[in-house]
Amino acid sequence: MSDDDFRPGRYRRQDESPPPAQRVTDEVIMRFEHVYEVDPALMGRHFAQQDMPAWDTQRIVAARWDHLNDVHSEFADGITLAGEGPDV
Amino acid sequence: MSLAAPTIDSGVLDELRAILGEDGAVLTGRSARLNRARVPAPFPVHRWAEHVPDVVVLPRTAQQVSEIVKLANRQRIPVVPRAGGTGLADGAVPLRGGILLDVKRMDQIKEIDMADRTVTVGPGINMQTLNRRLKRYGVMYPDDPASYACSLVGGRIGTSGFSLLGGRYGHTRDLVISFEIVLPTGEIIEVGDGGARKVRKSSTGYHLKQLFMGHQGTLGVVTEATLELVPRAETEFAAFFLFQDYDTAHRTFGELARSGLATLAGVVIFDPEKVAYLRRDDEAYLSQPEWVHAVTAASLYGTRVEVEAASKVVMALGRSLGGKYIGDEISSGDWAARHDRYANPLHGRASDGQVVPMSWHCEDAALPYSQLPAVQREWHAIAARYVSKYEIFDDWGMFAYTNGAHKPWGDVLVEIDMGLWEERLDEDGWRAFVSLKREIAQAALDHGGSLTACHGSTREGDAELVPIEMGASWEVVKQIKRTLDPLNIMNPGKQMLDEAYADQETTA
Repeated sequence: MSDDDFRPGRYRRQDESPPPAQRVTDEVIMRFEHVYEVDPALMGRHFAQQDMPAWDTQRIVAARWDHLNDVHSEFADGITLAGEGPDV
Repeated sequence: MSLAAPTIDSGVLDELRAILGEDGAVLTGRSARLNRARVPAPFPVHRWAEHVPDVVVLPRTAQQVSEIVKLANRQRIPVVPRAGGTGLADGAVPLRGGILLDVKRMDQIKEIDMADRTVTVGPGINMQTLNRRLKRYGVMYPDDPASYACSLVGGRIGTSGFSLLGGRYGHTRDLVISFEIVLPTGEIIEVGDGGARKVRKSSTGYHLKQLFMGHQGTLGVVTEATLELVPRAETEFAAFFLFQDYDTAHRTFGELARSGLATLAGVVIFDPEKVAYLRRDDEAYLSQPEWVHAVTAASLYGTRVEVEAASKVVMALGRSLGGKYIGDEISSGDWAARHDRYANPLHGRASDGQVVPMSWHCEDAALPYSQLPAVQREWHAIAARYVSKYEIFDDWGMFAYTNGAHKPWGDVLVEIDMGLWEERLDEDGWRAFVSLKREIAQAALDHGGSLTACHGSTREGDAELVPIEMGASWEVVKQIKRTLDPLNIMNPGKQMLDEAYADQETTA
């Protein structure tokens, strides 16, 4: 089977390299839309760093959304929204 | 770390094993003892061994707890109760070794009474676990601390905890109807508002429930609690508003707190230092405009018809002094993130900007609403002196929350969050931390406040100020402690209560 054949769940190393980082602020970068990371240049002295495959970042983000949805449902059966975007 | 062997003799260990009667209920191993020495708050890691208990016991029944406490009295051994160990004031931290009584095996739901709307539980149950069992009945136990997912009912009673939904549903002291407690001498009693287990309001006798609420392990061990059942809310609503300055955010906070909305669960305010901290790397605040220096938010819970109408009032009041709505997505998401501080690894910044691992110090107080701006300035001025002098501190900003159950308009819970770099801690740094705490606590007293709204005042730094806050009533407090605990067995060394035994030789 060639590397181009698609199979759901198939691990292909080249797919797991995160995209290049975009700078958001002096201290924060972004590799995936709305997924912010502290600039690794600020992290290296006191925390051991490792390469993070894309699927692992996406897993953490999905787990975060799962958690927030669970908290919403702890004390209420629904969510009421103002129905408005930001004023600014 | 070298760790002293248990100082309790083998005869006492044999008696404990006989009382508990099962394998694994009496623990003397290194990890069992070390892991129950501290709580999440900053800890003197350079003196860890001083706080390690001699033995850990895991009882299942009130009778077993009673027998353990009676044994401790005979042998004059300190007893320190521990539930989730998630507190921020060292109530569960042993100061003089002894028996650490861990209630985690007392985690049963004993009765769900849908007629009288109560649930009776052991002290070792967690609120999230309880609520997931209650959901099928359409009811909930709405005690919602930041530690919701990991704290236990026994610890909530021990600290007289604060609920983030307290404005709507009440705090721990309002939601616990009655409880069973093993006194320091081993007797088992029930305390409530009067003597009935399922009655919310009584005029019989003294209201002993409130005497034991917030006991911090110094007046006994809670072994069962009967709790309020509340109808599950049909819906929740949260709205966050952005401000250019703290004063306007504070006045808007007051407008919302005084709104009279019965569904109002709470109002919260972030100060400029908190917003600056969040701007470092928080997804919700990175993208906010530069002019944003304060945030005020409100939340509602109840039936849909109530909440939908009240939400329009909140939106109008939030904007009434110029506040700008942050939008639906961040409002609902940020409100759901209210427990994050207990779930996320904490980090701060060294003076060169490098990210460093820090533990979280959260100093709380209760203040009159009017005093909040002045205390906000004073606390940050105190913090700034310590941050500039010691590399181990980082100021993470302040927030305040409506404090009164069902009466959210008059006073506030206020907290300053600070990072503490424990890896760099030595005795000089620890003394600085204690001094920092004391200055912050003194400022709260100077402004007519109380040392703590939710954590308790059992830590070095603010414990010394308890007699000052209590004034003439401190003598009564000491008499109560000595009467109920004549040998100072229960959690000795906490909250200056050793003063009650100044004229006698005691265990501790």
